[in-house]
Amino acid sequence: MTTAALPRVPGDRDPRVSPLRRVTGSPALRLVGKRLLMAIPIMLGVTILTFWVLSLIPGNAAQQLLGAEASPEDVAQLEEQLGLNESGVSRYLSWLGNALHGDLGNSLVSRQPVSEILADRLPVTGELVLLAFVVSLLLAIPVALLAAHKPNGLMDRISMMISTLGLSVANYVLALLLVLVFAVTLGWLPAIGYVPLSDGLWANLKTMILPSAAIGLPLFCFYTRFLRGDLVDQLQQEEYVTTARAKGVGSWQVLLRHAFRNSSFGLITVVGLNLGALIGGTVIIEQIFALPGVGQMLLQAINTRDFVVVQAAVVIFALVAVLANLVVDLMYAVLDPRIRYGSR
Amino acid sequence: MAVADTPLQVAENPAADQDDAVPGGRRWRGQLGLWLPGGAIVLIVVACFLGPALLGLPKPVGGSVLESYLPAGSPGHLLGTDPNGNDILSRLLHGGRASLFIAATVNIVGLVVGGTLGALSGYAGGAVDTVIMRILDVLIAFPSLVLTLAVAQALGPSIRNTILALAFFSIPAVARVARSAVLRLRGQPFMAAAELCGTPAWRVLFKHLAPNIAPQLITFAMLGMGIVIIIEGALSFLGLGIPAPAPSWGNMVADGQLSLSATPMLVVWPSLALLLTVLSFNLLGENLRSRWSGR
Repeated sequence: MTTAALPRVPGDRDPRVSPLRRVTGSPALRLVGKRLLMAIPIMLGVTILTFWVLSLIPGNAAQQLLGAEASPEDVAQLEEQLGLNESGVSRYLSWLGNALHGDLGNSLVSRQPVSEILADRLPVTGELVLLAFVVSLLLAIPVALLAAHKPNGLMDRISMMISTLGLSVANYVLALLLVLVFAVTLGWLPAIGYVPLSDGLWANLKTMILPSAAIGLPLFCFYTRFLRGDLVDQLQQEEYVTTARAKGVGSWQVLLRHAFRNSSFGLITVVGLNLGALIGGTVIIEQIFALPGVGQMLLQAINTRDFVVVQAAVVIFALVAVLANLVVDLMYAVLDPRIRYGSR
Repeated sequence: MAVADTPLQVAENPAADQDDAVPGGRRWRGQLGLWLPGGAIVLIVVACFLGPALLGLPKPVGGSVLESYLPAGSPGHLLGTDPNGNDILSRLLHGGRASLFIAATVNIVGLVVGGTLGALSGYAGGAVDTVIMRILDVLIAFPSLVLTLAVAQALGPSIRNTILALAFFSIPAVARVARSAVLRLRGQPFMAAAELCGTPAWRVLFKHLAPNIAPQLITFAMLGMGIVIIIEGALSFLGLGIPAPAPSWGNMVADGQLSLSATPMLVVWPSLALLLTVLSFNLLGENLRSRWSGR
């Protein structure tokens, strides 16, 4: 038998393949490359769609800035100053050119550079989303494991009931409910407002607990249901579970070391896909709790026709969604040897 | 005992739970899971559309300030009145009309347009598939709330524009479900038979594929009803859905927020209505889904 008859797996430890080739030819890297290439048309599409949708909105920033009584000449002059009188296509192309150089332009209303505004606001939204994710996952994983340990047991039924209920609550309703209980009735936490992290961790957390709970609780319900379902599927259908049990491995061991390791893939995917949707959901929560984040900025910008800021926010949101998917793919490649060595 | 006697049955259905040991036990529970939320939905729809007339409720708008903040149980106002002196029960039921009407219309548009696009994409494959799916990818990557906010702003808040804005968001999701359902059917013998008979593509799509993917799509639409009701509420909450004096559950919650500490019931009633309706649709959708995936 000659070596030529063997299937050549890229990235295989073949001494004749140079180390560089081994890295560039790795299926995981190729997958990431393919995803990155696919992300480009999606990002272009999103930005074009935003420009088009925004151009449909009647009234522009010049009119908004000068008020309804302004003379048409003044409005026209300001429009020219802000570059609003150019055609949509040329405005888009010049915006794109600047954006590719990292310049997202200046706010039409405050004239502040958008990058500065984002630097103020992104940390707030970032903290909100991060806290929501951490809390929901820290709760969901143990609850789902307990529920899956005895399907249809008491713990399973209770957790499924709570999570079905939790998934049917709108986050704005939940937010008000939390305010009603913890701020109005008990008076433990502030109802609205934001204290930056620089004013102390506890002071900051006190303002973030209720908003992140309003986002995190429905997520917790979703993850619990998802992980529990996946774990039960693994336990009932997979042969490796039967093998492990036949070897006499304890039920918790099978659940934790075998089923959960495989189920974590599904969970990672769902978390990644969620991130895009979630960041859009922060708009209403930031509005309710008066948090100065990206969502609140977006809402204000839409109201004042500050399209430069709207465009920037949409780009950020879409970029986060696309990057989250990319990270999910990467984690797959790292965790699953079948993908790492391209045998799928 | 029963399990040991019927090893074949157990092997066929590894997900069987305890109730299978009792004949009819699972069936009864399954039926309850279908009829309870289904009945609740029928009840809610009847209450919202016929309730105000049957109960002779006052109009949901144009109340007198003299009658504002009446407590629950006041004569003629079962749930009391809001700061403008409008009957809360009447506003709840009228608000429900708007929510249900919008959600139903959005889902029908999503089913028809998204279903057709998705089925076409899955059936045709090749370039058609690529083009349709890439366009839908863009729509999915686009933050849906931004789009709906922008459309609502562009066209002004009204029921019609809310439907338009939300339909944008439901189409790509339905299309994906339809496409994957069609892809699964593509290898089936009946599809090959239809093609060998020279059946035109439109006929294959509507006569052969549509009935087969309909159950999946309708199940998805049930879950979609809950989502649309919540998002419509969010839009109205932000003042971009149903315009102010007319009631909707979303704007009732938003109005109630202003006096949350003094009169929390103004928020609680519409919240309960939202929760109950969305929960019923979710339970119904889940039940239908487990039926379809179980067999």
